[in-house]
Amino acid sequence: MSTGDWLADRLGWTRVEAYLAKRSVPRHGFMFYVGGITLFLFLVQVASGVLLTLYYQPDAAQAHGSVERIVGEISYGDLVRAVHVWAGDLFVASLMLHMFIVMARRSFRAPQELTWLSGIALLALGVGEAFTGAVLPWSERACMDARVGSELALYVPLVGAWLRRLMRGGEDVTSNTLAHAFGFHVAALPAALTFVVAVHLFARSRNRAGSAGATDVPTIPLYPDFFVRLAVALTGVMVLVLTLAIFVERPIGPPADPRLSSALGLPPWYFLPMHAIVRAVPGELLGIDGPRFLVSAACVIGLAVVALPFIDRRGSRLTAWLAWIALLALILVSVRAIT
Amino acid sequence: MRSPNPLHLLTVLAGLLALSAIPPAAMAAVPRGTAAPAAAGSASSGLGSRTLPSPIDATNTCASCHGMLTDDRLRTPSREFLHSAHRDERIGCVGCHKGDPRDPTVSAHAPSTGFVPHPTHTEIPQLCGGCHNDAAFVRRFDSRLPVGQATLFNLSLHGKLTAAGDGPAPDCSTCHGKHDIQSPSSPLSPVNRANVATLCSGCHADKQRMSKYDIRIDQFDKWQKSVHGEAFLAGNAGAPTCTGCHGAHASNPPDASSVARACRRCHEDEMQLFEQSPHSQGFRKRGLGQCVVCHGSHDVPRASALMVGVGPDAVCTKCHSHDEKPRQVASDISVLLRGASERAAEARSAVARATAAGLRVAGAAYALDQVATTEMRVRDVVHTLDPARVQALVADIDRSVAETLTLVSNAEHARRAERRGYYVALALAALLLVTLTLKALQLDRRRRQAGP
Repeated sequence: MSTGDWLADRLGWTRVEAYLAKRSVPRHGFMFYVGGITLFLFLVQVASGVLLTLYYQPDAAQAHGSVERIVGEISYGDLVRAVHVWAGDLFVASLMLHMFIVMARRSFRAPQELTWLSGIALLALGVGEAFTGAVLPWSERACMDARVGSELALYVPLVGAWLRRLMRGGEDVTSNTLAHAFGFHVAALPAALTFVVAVHLFARSRNRAGSAGATDVPTIPLYPDFFVRLAVALTGVMVLVLTLAIFVERPIGPPADPRLSSALGLPPWYFLPMHAIVRAVPGELLGIDGPRFLVSAACVIGLAVVALPFIDRRGSRLTAWLAWIALLALILVSVRAIT
Repeated sequence: MRSPNPLHLLTVLAGLLALSAIPPAAMAAVPRGTAAPAAAGSASSGLGSRTLPSPIDATNTCASCHGMLTDDRLRTPSREFLHSAHRDERIGCVGCHKGDPRDPTVSAHAPSTGFVPHPTHTEIPQLCGGCHNDAAFVRRFDSRLPVGQATLFNLSLHGKLTAAGDGPAPDCSTCHGKHDIQSPSSPLSPVNRANVATLCSGCHADKQRMSKYDIRIDQFDKWQKSVHGEAFLAGNAGAPTCTGCHGAHASNPPDASSVARACRRCHEDEMQLFEQSPHSQGFRKRGLGQCVVCHGSHDVPRASALMVGVGPDAVCTKCHSHDEKPRQVASDISVLLRGASERAAEARSAVARATAAGLRVAGAAYALDQVATTEMRVRDVVHTLDPARVQALVADIDRSVAETLTLVSNAEHARRAERRGYYVALALAALLLVTLTLKALQLDRRRRQAGP
């Protein structure tokens, strides 16, 4: 008996194999794997993030120096940080892409309402992770992003003031802001993400039976065919992350100096559409302060997106078209803001 | 016909009113708790009773009249006085010019009041000294205010020339100003530390003014280009300006016997080491002024390794053009210094290179600090002219340099090894991707062959 056979016997592998071979999944294109890729990136972030906490110091006086030390002194620190930064951006990007794909495929329809709702929660939490993570190096840029981001939060209807205080850890951007960002980034938000991911996956598998178009699509065996395809997608993402992390530098930037107010630069990329629109609108709209109007409008759109499965119960083609148009518009506005 | 200026009338009326309202005792009032009236009254030679009505008191008619006179010459002093430190301390015109400030008419200037319209050049030091040499008086205003400047001034060459009636020589007002005298701590004061060099050069760089004294006029130019002037002009608060070496009120031209004392005020270490050198005795015997023989005086250049040796920039050859042994010593020290400074520069550039590449080399900053500290120490020890002592310190520098270079090269080596590891990892991941893709394609092909 070979070692492989022995192990297979002890683990009852043959039965598992038989079970897996019986299961089959619809044969989809790349779009189908974006959800899995997002989950994979989340796991990459957890792993690289845990490594970074070993050397990161969440103290306004030492944060920037500790990040410099991670990059310049700690073995493999530069790679771990670069992976965390790039995979973080890709995580937010794939969350968004995933949402648009689901919208376009009209997969939010009943009975997938819970999947959709938890998915939107994941997107919000993911953006929160990206935002708080960008604050942690406590660079000039990080400080500015924290200030501008929390200032915009003030315009959110009803909870604005509370939200800004929560983000800043007080009325102003201080060392408390860094402590709050750290707490949210490494504890509160990851815990929430883990829980909501579980809800998301549970809701997805529980209501799979009713999901759209499951009948007329050709299927492939779960194992090995689907597993291999998933492995191709995830390895591809890994190669992409490693390539970016090794070859494209993400500078830390000069340390924050609260005495200086630096020139307003570009915000993180996922806020670029907001930034471009805020810059384009006049100071006042319909008698309301421009930014307040925009943030309020964004909140209304956000609520409509959350309520999508209940507004568009049957999933009209119009929603699918809207999804692609919205994605295209956001990309165009972002590109416009950079150039 | 011109109508009388209503303001004049008003002022006169106000003055009379105030006079009638104030009891005589109050008019002679001195600040409470100060010198006894008897003592104040006895100082008849100086400032009368030193009952000094303030220019802002209604009883001071000097300012109110002179401020409205049309003759610039008579009006300007009262205007300038508004910015005076003396006005802040409520010392009025009467303090220097005497007269009777309570008299609103022209008789305030009567000779019986002791009125002094123009204190002369030779009188001024005594006039100022009347108060500024009187510790008890000065202490009324500020117990930390220095006293005795007039006495010191009389001892200085400036003072002696002035007392002898020498026109271009300065009196107090030449430097401090007249009616608008400011505290030396004010940046507007010409004697403020920041303005002193400009003030002194106003006379000492003036060829015409200096012609009768047969002294140089290039001190200011030289100082500006010197290491002292450069540092001072760059905002270094510790760097010396004219008064740093020459003093202020008691300034006398330093000679060979005293110049080293001036340097020593700041350069104690160098001085002590210099005294251990053969130069110390030699210079003294020949009546040479120690430090300045090699470093110059107003034009002290930034000291560098090039100063020592037998090269074109070296100062040693000024005296030792042929002597075999001193030239050998100079050359030995020069070789040591240049070698050390080259190696130190190499260590610094290695750390700079690593930092630019994003590396943080633990311990390198400390090792570089060691290099810099020892370099400073070597510059001091050169004054002993003892090659063995210089060599010992150069060896210390070399050790710190070697330590720095090792740390940097270890860090760079580790970084290169890590980068190689990254490429290997990436290559393996890419290989895995290719293999899995091939496998997926193979499975697809099989499925197509098997299924319909």
